Amino acid sequence: MSIKKRVLSGFMAGVLGLAVLTGCSGSSSRNNAEVNQAGEDWPNSPINIICTHAAGGDTDYNARLMARMLEKELGVSVVVNNVTGSNGAIALGQYKDSKNADNYTFIMTNTAALTGNLATGLSDFGYEDFQTVGIFGKQSGENIVVPADAPYNTVEELIEASKQNPGQIKFGISTGGGVYIAATIMSKEYGAEFNIVDAGDASSRLTSILGGHIDASIVPYSGIKEYVENGDVKVLSTLLEEKPDLIQDIPTAKEQGYDNLVLNTMYACLAPEGTDEAVVQKLNEAMQNVAQNNTEYEEEVKKYNYQNPYVLSVDESKEELKTQTDLFMKYADDLQ
Amino acid sequence: MVVEGLMNVFSDPLVILFIAIGVIVGIIFGSIPGLTATMAIVMFLPVTYTMTSTQGISMLIALYIGGISGGLISAILLNIPGTPSSVATCFDGRPLAEKGQAAKALGVGVVFSFIGTVVGVLLLIVISPLLAGLAIKFGPYEYCSLAIFSLSLVITLSGKDLVKGLIGAIIGALLATVGLSPIDSRQRFTFGSADLTAGFKLLVLLIGLFAVTEVIKYAGQVRKPEKIEIESGVKMKGIGFTAKEFFSQIFNCIRSALVGVGIGILPGIGGGVSCMISYTVAKNSSKHPEKFGTGIIDGVVASESANNGTIGGAMIPLLSLGIPGDPATAMLLGGLMVHNVSPGPLIFDKNGAVVYGIFFAMILSAVMMMIFMLVGMRGFIKVLNIPKNLLLPAIVVLCCIGAIGDSNRIFDVWGVLIFGLLGFGLLKAGIPSSPMILGFILGPMFEENLRKASQLASSDSAFRHPIFFLFMIVTVIVVFMSLRSNKKAAQAENSIASE
Repeated sequence: MSIKKRVLSGFMAGVLGLAVLTGCSGSSSRNNAEVNQAGEDWPNSPINIICTHAAGGDTDYNARLMARMLEKELGVSVVVNNVTGSNGAIALGQYKDSKNADNYTFIMTNTAALTGNLATGLSDFGYEDFQTVGIFGKQSGENIVVPADAPYNTVEELIEASKQNPGQIKFGISTGGGVYIAATIMSKEYGAEFNIVDAGDASSRLTSILGGHIDASIVPYSGIKEYVENGDVKVLSTLLEEKPDLIQDIPTAKEQGYDNLVLNTMYACLAPEGTDEAVVQKLNEAMQNVAQNNTEYEEEVKKYNYQNPYVLSVDESKEELKTQTDLFMKYADDLQ
Repeated sequence: MVVEGLMNVFSDPLVILFIAIGVIVGIIFGSIPGLTATMAIVMFLPVTYTMTSTQGISMLIALYIGGISGGLISAILLNIPGTPSSVATCFDGRPLAEKGQAAKALGVGVVFSFIGTVVGVLLLIVISPLLAGLAIKFGPYEYCSLAIFSLSLVITLSGKDLVKGLIGAIIGALLATVGLSPIDSRQRFTFGSADLTAGFKLLVLLIGLFAVTEVIKYAGQVRKPEKIEIESGVKMKGIGFTAKEFFSQIFNCIRSALVGVGIGILPGIGGGVSCMISYTVAKNSSKHPEKFGTGIIDGVVASESANNGTIGGAMIPLLSLGIPGDPATAMLLGGLMVHNVSPGPLIFDKNGAVVYGIFFAMILSAVMMMIFMLVGMRGFIKVLNIPKNLLLPAIVVLCCIGAIGDSNRIFDVWGVLIFGLLGFGLLKAGIPSSPMILGFILGPMFEENLRKASQLASSDSAFRHPIFFLFMIVTVIVVFMSLRSNKKAAQAENSIASE
């Protein structure tokens, strides 16, 4: 073999290797008839999970952690792929069709994206267009934060201050997201008169608070923890319905008398319409088992995101998704 | 803490092994058009979940540094930037290779990539709190003016024909508007297609414009091959260039690395812009601007020092504020948090050893990157021996894999092909592609921040933003100066032509 040929074949082998490496992430559609009476022997081949948000974020972490644990639970490999874009709307739109219903394709997303996109008009489908497998985690909460030297210490004082100087308090949100909905609730229900400004995603909102570009915002706990300890910002309240078990010193907005100011972001697993009921039930049971009995899972989820294991049955999950959708849809006219 | 960090990295042979693997994989991902540093990190992030924190974080950093550096190989040898960060490396790297000096271009690129990385890391170690403080001063007003300033560089990048440069920039900015608008997420130019709603990705535009256009261009010459023989049999002496050449570039290198660090600390801009800004700055302040683009090492140095400087720059807000500066560092942030390191103002108090570990991992990655690339150079050059009719189709396949891999959509492959055709059309029309890329990146940044600033305007006047005014004034000066120098160059050419 000449040198030239050797280089060439080496190069080609490299190409092939890479193709296998990256190409293996493509999802294959199986023969529906073959697996539809599954139930009994499900699962007997690898499970594909589509995560609607990018690697590195909380949705992805929760999906991958659950997938890793499900692998041990179910005895087949569980592969997570990220199909990102438009706050999850791309992936959800792509996989909702029944043509993907092969009992081995599932979607993992978060409820703020699923219901928020419907309320803001970004997508025209909601949880009802899927088969709900289950809610398998609860975010440690979005929090109303202000700079530490701000004159207000409670949500009430903040709203009062905005009424006294209408349009002067700059409240940073990201248009269309759950945070936007929360700000809309504060204005519509409780008469706040903020200058609501777009300040981008969670980390940009934090930067804007630190840089003094905005006066108040809503940011997830994991992002601000350091700055609270450091004394740069203070938290007025969490928007979770109940105080998270691991963060007990922050009051909820509900406690402070704002019953509708609730943003429960949860992680949900969905299946394309037409997936076998028995399969859905079986997967939900496996997730329940992981969340309730697996100490490794409990440790990891606490460590990363201050979450306690949280899981709901199929019916409870549907109910929760309905409650969240109804709450968001109440404000749909203001959001679209 | 410093010693502990040092021990963390150097006492565990696995850490060193993972860094070596990370650098090599990173270089491969960087050098293949379509695969980027970010994708390498995305792919390996889940793998690191089960490693110790030092192992995992070191490997991710090695992937990042390898990935950004590897892009220069294909930029120089194939005229296709391996990553967005090495777009400007093509401008002079390719002409050098065509002159038979591929080895020199590669050597210069690798060594100055290393120096750029080191300058960035040193600034990160020494004055990161100070620079982080500067980064948070940048709000919508400041970003908006920075976008305007950067767009004014189109004049320099356009070369002689300003009108065509502006056409390119506007096409780029228009392409970027496809999809959801910033802020209010309204659909623009989506024609009811869910795929168009997600818009076009920079990566897709880039491989379409460079790789596919290159293939079509070559296909057009098959029947009458051009007589450009690229000498690849040249004997490589040492690292390809002389000590004299090295010392002549020191000032250029430091300035470019500083430009890179400066762009790096500002979240959301990234290496693609930093290399182009640095290239134009080098050209504008050079004694012989007319030689840029004809194959001089100044251009390669400017681009490569800057994009590697951006690494250290981007790590500054990541570590000291917890804010990622580009997609790659956003992935790193996820990696750090998974390993229980929370970046932010308290990181030195809480995870001091880890931070110093990161610094050492960066230095070690940079050293390994330089060694591997210099050793591998002889091999890389052999790529030029592969007949193009075999090489180019393979590259197109890789590009398509990269396009799919980015977000798992077949749609992006069609995007690559369409942008390839568009790129070929523009090439024939003489419209340069670099202003187009600048327009594509900066257009949305300008729009978003203009709209954010206008929301602020009712309760926060522009007069309270000195940085905003500074950029606006500098922009006016730059526009004036570059128009004048363009005019002079045109006159000089006319007088030569009429003689």
